[in-house]
Amino acid sequence: MRLTLSIILGMAISVMATADGRADPAAGKKVFDDKKCTECHYTDGPAKEKTIADQLAKKGPELWYAGSKFQKKWLGKWLKDPKPIRAMAYNSMTEKNKGDHPKMSGGDAKAVTEFLMTLTSDAVKAGVIKPKKSAKGRLVFTKKMPCSGCHLFPAKKRAKFKGGLSGPSLVGARKRLNPDWIFAYLMTPEVFKPVKSMPVFVGFLKEKEMKNVAAYVANFK
Amino acid sequence: MKRLIQFATVLAILGMGVAGPAGAEDTEAVYKFYCAQCHGLTGKGDGPNVSKDFPVSPRNFTNAKEMDKLTDADMKNVILDGGPAASKSPMMPPWSKTLSEADVVGLIKHIRKLCACKGKQG
Repeated sequence: MRLTLSIILGMAISVMATADGRADPAAGKKVFDDKKCTECHYTDGPAKEKTIADQLAKKGPELWYAGSKFQKKWLGKWLKDPKPIRAMAYNSMTEKNKGDHPKMSGGDAKAVTEFLMTLTSDAVKAGVIKPKKSAKGRLVFTKKMPCSGCHLFPAKKRAKFKGGLSGPSLVGARKRLNPDWIFAYLMTPEVFKPVKSMPVFVGFLKEKEMKNVAAYVANFK
Repeated sequence: MKRLIQFATVLAILGMGVAGPAGAEDTEAVYKFYCAQCHGLTGKGDGPNVSKDFPVSPRNFTNAKEMDKLTDADMKNVILDGGPAASKSPMMPPWSKTLSEADVVGLIKHIRKLCACKGKQG
């Protein structure tokens, strides 16, 4: 009798947990699979791309480290109302991004967010980077290295040049990206994207400079 | 013996067939993947990053007159170490940690095709 009561109580708690919004990652994975998100995004790491052809065969970004890259609140909102992050279509030098990423209902977005946030990489160490207005970071981003040549950034209102279009926009990085992931991505790009159009800056920038630029980017409104 | 020669001939022809087109395709793929962002798919300096407000004009590889002023070594230097290595803009990044030696050699050949020029001999 006591066992039956425990089981019923356990089930009730589980149902309540789901009902009040604490969706579980397994349910999110099912939504992810059912909606065929896997046709464009792979979620099992480590990185699979070895050649340019491998990268070009992908229809969308890999998500196997989504939980280390994105901020949970932003991800949940974005899945409900996806706005283009890249000006250009994925892997294209000529086509504009049509902004036609499928939208999810609130429940599905919440569940998929729970799932994606479980996908993390050990290469990202927590608590290393704090977003800030770093003058040294700004110097690297806008002068020493050509980051602004490929990435939109929140330039001053009167500035004519607001960044290039071939890379993902960094406008709003403060809400979208995990500051520690930005740093890890600069330090160990081969872990996340072994084949990418962005140059490897390891060896050209010191670790301290990478920290500064990560803190600077992580503060972008 | 005759059979062995025939076999060797077939192997040689197959080998040429594979090495030729695959090599050429790879070089073009490397160019399109990395360089076209700024220099454009056909090398005119008109990649997707180059809006009217872009701070510099990426080199137009189809301008034979300008490209003829550069040696292959000049090009290699800038590809490996970036624009500042030749007192040019840092908007041209250093690619030495990204590209292999073979990639760079292939790129120089591809760019020479785009300009249809041999470049300054040095």
